[in-house]
Amino acid sequence: MNNLSKKYGDTVAVNGISFGLSKGEVFAFLGPNGAGKTTTVEILECLRAPTGGQAKVLDYDVSKRSDQSEIRKRIGVLPQDFNAIDRLTVRENIDYFGAMYDHQLDSDQLIELVDLKDKRDEQFKTLSGGLKQRVGLAVALVNDPALVFLDEPTTGLDPRARRDVWYVIERLKKQGKTVFLTTHYMDEAEYLADTVSIIDHGQIIASGTPNELIDAHGGKKTLVIREAGEDGLKFLPPGISRPQLKNEDDIYIPLNNGELTTILIAIGQTPLANKEIEVRRPTLDDVFLNLTGRRVSEEGE
Amino acid sequence: MSRVYTIVKGHVKTWFRSKSTIFWTLAFPILLIVLFGAIFGTGNTRFDLYVQNQDLTANAPTPSSQGYVAALNHTGAFNIQTVPAEMSNPVSYVRDDAQLHNRGQRLLVIPVGFQNNLTNRKPADIQLYMDQSDQASPSLAGVITAVTSSYAASLSNSTVSLSVQQVPIVTHNTRYIDFFIPGVIGMTLLTSGVFGAVNTNGRYRELKIIKKLATTPLSKIEWILGMVGYQMFLAAISITVILLFGRFVFGVTATIDIYTIGLVVAAALLFPGIGMVLANFVKDADGAEAAANAITFPMMFLAGTFWPTETMPTVLKVIANYLPLTYINNGLRDAMIYLEPAQALTNTIIALGLAGFFIILGSVLMSWKEE
Ligand SMILES: Nc1ncnc2c1ncn2[C@@H]1O[C@H](COP(=O)(O)OP(=O)(O)O)[C@@H](O)[C@H]1O
Ligand SMILES: [Mg+2]
Repeated sequence: MNNLSKKYGDTVAVNGISFGLSKGEVFAFLGPNGAGKTTTVEILECLRAPTGGQAKVLDYDVSKRSDQSEIRKRIGVLPQDFNAIDRLTVRENIDYFGAMYDHQLDSDQLIELVDLKDKRDEQFKTLSGGLKQRVGLAVALVNDPALVFLDEPTTGLDPRARRDVWYVIERLKKQGKTVFLTTHYMDEAEYLADTVSIIDHGQIIASGTPNELIDAHGGKKTLVIREAGEDGLKFLPPGISRPQLKNEDDIYIPLNNGELTTILIAIGQTPLANKEIEVRRPTLDDVFLNLTGRRVSEEGE
Repeated sequence: MSRVYTIVKGHVKTWFRSKSTIFWTLAFPILLIVLFGAIFGTGNTRFDLYVQNQDLTANAPTPSSQGYVAALNHTGAFNIQTVPAEMSNPVSYVRDDAQLHNRGQRLLVIPVGFQNNLTNRKPADIQLYMDQSDQASPSLAGVITAVTSSYAASLSNSTVSLSVQQVPIVTHNTRYIDFFIPGVIGMTLLTSGVFGAVNTNGRYRELKIIKKLATTPLSKIEWILGMVGYQMFLAAISITVILLFGRFVFGVTATIDIYTIGLVVAAALLFPGIGMVLANFVKDADGAEAAANAITFPMMFLAGTFWPTETMPTVLKVIANYLPLTYINNGLRDAMIYLEPAQALTNTIIALGLAGFFIILGSVLMSWKEE
């Protein structure tokens, strides 16, 4: 995909982005709401025409009509906010969407993959949000696609249901499928993705493995001393970088090189030694914060 | 083709599992039939007789003709309705009036010169228009002949020759319920077509089902064919139920011919076409449903579902001419009840034309992919 862009009237939703996916990887397209994730994904799914640039999906050109039908046969899609047909059962829904292709995977096998065996004959409308999303995943896989697009598959789910979806995505990865995932959850990208591209205002602002991104843009590690209270501050050695009190009485200390041992030795003989002490790596949240000056969650759903 | 079949099957299953759609497509029409059948009655058509007395002097019936009508009345066998003498086509007047009031279609005409012929001892004829297949016809004709000869005998001059000339006419002895059943069919096709299309195109878009389907090899045409196929299925089911009910509860005999089928096919394209046009102008599904209500209800009342459009004020009659349902209703009546193939054909052609227009417009307007 090269220099792709999409305008809606005067709004530039996607502004000249370029990236590529390797076979068998989980690629996460990470960005806040309105960043241009869905627009990009839908261009790749041949649902929207780009206003500039080129994109190839599985070596087919998204702008060529004859190539589009080849793409459709080979990709699996879970649209953002997708719902299957309310009054069809889980199994009927899988077979319904499966019948749109020349070949479909065995529905029992898919039901097993998304762990819905005991809900197989329940109507879609009776399922909880997490289970519905798993039906959506099964439906996205029904043609045994080489490339799967999942647009915000866990948005709006409770933590437990999110984990279940993650688990299914991990299984897909084990099966060797290439997965294109969009999300505005940093932890999701960090947990699932081999490669992450961060998109903001229609532009890619950073790309790489989660580790590379954190190393390059995450900033310092942080030492956290839990429930130390304001009193705890006086036990810290002088000259270390600005300690902060967060969550009432947790102490946060950004670590410069070599400071960790200095601090640990200094507090070894004080009451702080009995507290819960943790060294935190920066996360993709910090990466986004450092790159944009904003937190993703501030503008989340 | 198997994709279209899958879509039809999906819609049918959804329909079958939803109590409210089953109610609107099957139970509600039956309920209306029972209700209107009870209000307007099914009528007793046995002894109705329309009489037109054309024998006038100075704008009043002649004494002889009046005497004859009185003799008929005296038997108590007839429920006599007078047809104004100036009515130039009394047979068609009787047909319309009889249906509206659930009466039998039999007409007795006393011709001009009735009294003159009697006084001049010339033979005088009275015309009796009736349907030979009318079950009451032999006994009615018998009573009328008997009354006529005794009236002739009672005249002072016994050599007078007075005879009843029978003119066969074809009547369908239609009652209100016969008129109403095709209307209910038209109404059901209208509502299930418009609301079905708004639902499958508006609601499925909101649920991202259409978006999902657009990423598969399914084409827009196949999707629309699936929806139309489902409408045909619904039409077949509801017409069968309505006709069987009308047949066994009210004795309505309806003919299913090529025009009936043509009209039903037209309706299964026309009304979903209108629904698709709505769903594309009003993007959110609830708004489209409100628009569908705003269009179907007035159309139902103005297009002659519940009463003949001829009985409405002129303004409304003109409006009725612009409503697609009018042609479906009229055509269904011509084909199923009145057995008027020429009129049925005209209505079928108009309905098919409108159907082609709306389904093509709806299909062109419908965006399958995103903008
Ligand atoms: N059909 C559309 N018409 C006009 N603007 C749109 C349309 N779809 C999306 N946008 C705008 O494009 C931008 C990117 O949207 P989107 O791709 O949906 O972002 P994301 O999926 O990252 O939340 C937003 O500003 C959005 O308002
Ligand atoms: Mg989105």
